[in-house]
Amino acid sequence: MTVERRGFHVRFLKLWLPLGVSLIFALFPFYWMAITSLKTNQELYSRKVMPLVVHNPTLKHYIDLITETNFLEWTWNTFIVAVMSTAISLIFGAMLAYPLARIRFAGAALVSFAIAATYLVPQPLLFVPLADLINKLGLGDTLTSVILTYPTLLVPFCAWLLLGYFRTVPSDLEDAARIDGASRLQTLIKIVLPLCGPGFISAGIFAFTLAQNEFLYALIFLTKTEVRTVPVGAVAELVRGDVFYWGQLMAAALLGSIPVAIIYSFFVEHYVAGLTAGSVKG
Amino acid sequence: MVSVSRASRRDLLKLTALGAASTLAGPSIVRAAPKPLTMMHESSFIPPYDAHFKTKMAAAYEKATGTKINYEIVSVGSLLTRVTTAAENGTGPDMTQIGFNWAFLFNEKFVDVSDIADEIGKESGGWYPSAQEAVVVGGKWKAIPFGNIGQLMNWRTDWFKQAGYEKFPETWDELLEAGIKLKKQGHPFGFELGHGFGDNHGWLYPLLWSYGAREVEADGKTIVIDSDETARAVDYCRRLYKETMLEDCLGWTDVNNNKAFLSEQISCTNNAESILWAAKKDFPEMAKVIDQSPNPKGPKGSFAMLNPLCHAIFTHTPDHKAAKDFLRWVMKPEQCGPWLDIAVTYYQPFLHKYDDAPMWNVEPKNKPYRDTLKDAHLPGWPAPLSRAQSETIAKYVVVDMFAKACAGKSTKDVIAEAKAQLVQIYKTA
Amino acid sequence: MTAESLASVAAHRRPAFSLGRWLERGGVFAWLMVLPPVLFLVALVGYPFFYGIWLSLLNRPVAATGTFVGLDNYINAWNDPVFWQVVLNTFVYTAVATVLKMVGGLGLALVMNQDFRFKNLTRALLLLPFIVPTVLSTIAWQWILDPAFSVVNWTLVATGLVEKPGPSWLGNPHLAMASLIVVNVWRGLPFYAITLLAGLQTISPELYEAATIDGAGTWGKFRYVTLPLMKPVIFIVTMFSVIFTFADFQLIYVLTKGGPANATHVFATYAFDIAMGGGQFGQGAAIALTMVPPLALLILAMAIYLRPSKS
Repeated sequence: MTVERRGFHVRFLKLWLPLGVSLIFALFPFYWMAITSLKTNQELYSRKVMPLVVHNPTLKHYIDLITETNFLEWTWNTFIVAVMSTAISLIFGAMLAYPLARIRFAGAALVSFAIAATYLVPQPLLFVPLADLINKLGLGDTLTSVILTYPTLLVPFCAWLLLGYFRTVPSDLEDAARIDGASRLQTLIKIVLPLCGPGFISAGIFAFTLAQNEFLYALIFLTKTEVRTVPVGAVAELVRGDVFYWGQLMAAALLGSIPVAIIYSFFVEHYVAGLTAGSVKG
Repeated sequence: MVSVSRASRRDLLKLTALGAASTLAGPSIVRAAPKPLTMMHESSFIPPYDAHFKTKMAAAYEKATGTKINYEIVSVGSLLTRVTTAAENGTGPDMTQIGFNWAFLFNEKFVDVSDIADEIGKESGGWYPSAQEAVVVGGKWKAIPFGNIGQLMNWRTDWFKQAGYEKFPETWDELLEAGIKLKKQGHPFGFELGHGFGDNHGWLYPLLWSYGAREVEADGKTIVIDSDETARAVDYCRRLYKETMLEDCLGWTDVNNNKAFLSEQISCTNNAESILWAAKKDFPEMAKVIDQSPNPKGPKGSFAMLNPLCHAIFTHTPDHKAAKDFLRWVMKPEQCGPWLDIAVTYYQPFLHKYDDAPMWNVEPKNKPYRDTLKDAHLPGWPAPLSRAQSETIAKYVVVDMFAKACAGKSTKDVIAEAKAQLVQIYKTA
Repeated sequence: MTAESLASVAAHRRPAFSLGRWLERGGVFAWLMVLPPVLFLVALVGYPFFYGIWLSLLNRPVAATGTFVGLDNYINAWNDPVFWQVVLNTFVYTAVATVLKMVGGLGLALVMNQDFRFKNLTRALLLLPFIVPTVLSTIAWQWILDPAFSVVNWTLVATGLVEKPGPSWLGNPHLAMASLIVVNVWRGLPFYAITLLAGLQTISPELYEAATIDGAGTWGKFRYVTLPLMKPVIFIVTMFSVIFTFADFQLIYVLTKGGPANATHVFATYAFDIAMGGGQFGQGAAIALTMVPPLALLILAMAIYLRPSKS
């Protein structure tokens, strides 16, 4: 009995307390967004009522957001852009990471430095020459423009992250496969990649999120309402001078992120399962 | 000169080509639809204003001339970034809204529109001289002024009345006195002192000027910020902040004072007409006790900031004439009048024809904005338009001079720091 | 190089040249893999980068031609007191936020690595701050940090600890920096935690069993099993966090734009204001490029630490 009680205490200290604190810290702003999006403007600005609950809930902001702006179109654009640039980034990232992790080849050090040096380009300034490049390629106002430019921000991180994961795969596994006659490419695809699922998911989450968040390139390259992404579209239509459309902005924030959270929750589950299987085999 | 001759040569070529085409094709030639034009605009604080252009005006123009008009909106802080990219790369929208001294900054990239500015002025009662301060560069009109987004005092009549004020204080000193009383009664003031884009400069430059201080002389070279007048303005500002305002004002951007006013935290601020507008929409009771008044007087009088919204044509536009024709059409009273009406004086027109337009009677409390049009100035006044002006704004030299004093630094130090920055800026620019 | 190796294969080896064999050579395979992404990056990043260096040597106002001024822009920055404040701000912001994210992220990853109900749901929920578009979540924070509406102030005032209106989170220079750091940590921590969690999952349970047999306690297992194995992942995530925090822009631009009185101005916001707002491309580029040396050192450290293994 005492042992059980002690176990409970330990579990509380080790699990529930830190988890609870983190959850409150992480989710309170979402609670805030949610109640802001459900309040009438009168209630929003009122300091007389208790701010933590909604007294007269309304769906007006959501309805306005969907009927008066092109929000659904923006969401779709954002989704396409994020999926495509994530795919490109993961493929390129893996192509860079695997040789760097496994093969000693001339120029490896230079390549690894050059990839990370990509981040030395100060983005907030140098979009001007990049915009010029995009225009010369005739890609202005197409989603392709950002699908191509986002990977410049994403590939280096994906490559370095995957590099870390590739190196955790025991090399005996690969050697065994190679002795059995598999080519390098086959070894990579059949042996290494499946073991690095978590790495890909981690890098993928990073890439996807950054791609759907990005503001500056989207602002410069996507100027027509029909091709805008959520952040640029929402700010252009809902931040009007010194008046913010708070309710609609928060509604956009929630509608824009919750579907992604659901997709992620699926992945998170998937990679944990996949991983256990992998490690048993190893 | 060069561009003129090149243009005329191109015209000549075009003419010959056209001639050849018509002789070849004979009478059956069908005129191709004119190229569409794109106008870039900040998203207006008043959504129906954007909608009116996009649906009504653009459609009317297309019906009349066959030219399709696209209306592209960007968020307020992003307009300059977009204009810069378009001007640098020579692609993008054909026409754009501009503000501040951009006509000067992008002088080489904007089409001379003096001819239509002249016609428009003649047609609509003449231009306010202040409009020219912002758009005339080297004797040429580089944009067509549309309206000023003036910034003046917004205040709560009910709370001021409780403190014994029927009218808004006439001078800065009286305002301080009133503010001290009001703060004691739980109704502090709130003026932006942070890094916003307009509401900070909107009252700090007029304050500076009304004390007889300025950054630079009219020659655009002599730095004169280090003066007793500046010191008095800074001392005043520190007192106003410490004795009448919320601490939070130092970190405010443009949105904060609107929020604070509408949530009844503050009794007075400096802002455009957006507070009263939003109050009428969402808080009709509060709107009744909001009034707007000119900036208080200092030893040298009362001043106001010029915050012009103008339309310019990029030189990269293939057909300058088509764009000019469109702007000309927009500014005709039949188009311009109704468009202005939708925003109900939020944009105060620079044309005398509208001085007594019916829209001023829709909300008479907005009239002070019209009355300050004639002597409103751009930041950096009385120096002529310059790049240094932009850099001073971008580095928040004047705002931070006041803000640092409010945060506790000595007047001498903050002025010395501002002076050092200005010397540097005016040297390189 | 590839042509040479091809020739040597043909000349010295008896068996006829086989494309398959050639592709299996380490160097060839590696370069074939690496080349497409490298070319891609060079094309899209190389040009703007060198253009930026060139810009920083010019007096180049917007929409006008530039004149070469050598290192003038760097010298001006050196003499600009605001620039030094920006340097200090950036270092404080980056250092504090990174340490908080690293320690907090590792802690949270360890907590989440346990078995409990609604594990997947919790993990996904914790990722939310990272998912929501920064511009929009920062706008929510702006409201949360308003003294009149802040829950913190509301609580403090309600419990009588402070007088109304309570601390000014964005108006006080020190609190403003602290607030920005909190928002940055809020946004970055979940990704840290999930990435480190993924790393934890790759550690084979057998290693822990072995450690237990050897008599290691909870701390011992962490110290001798978890930490050494996690080092590469921790290292990479930290380095990248430093890089991203160092160059952070959106969050600060929405919340304070560098105010009050430059107390929260960092490299990216200052360079952007000067280049875009002030129309001084040369000066802006110079300030942005002063970020390069410290970042380059970091990246070099990373490259050395992670250089190809011998196996």
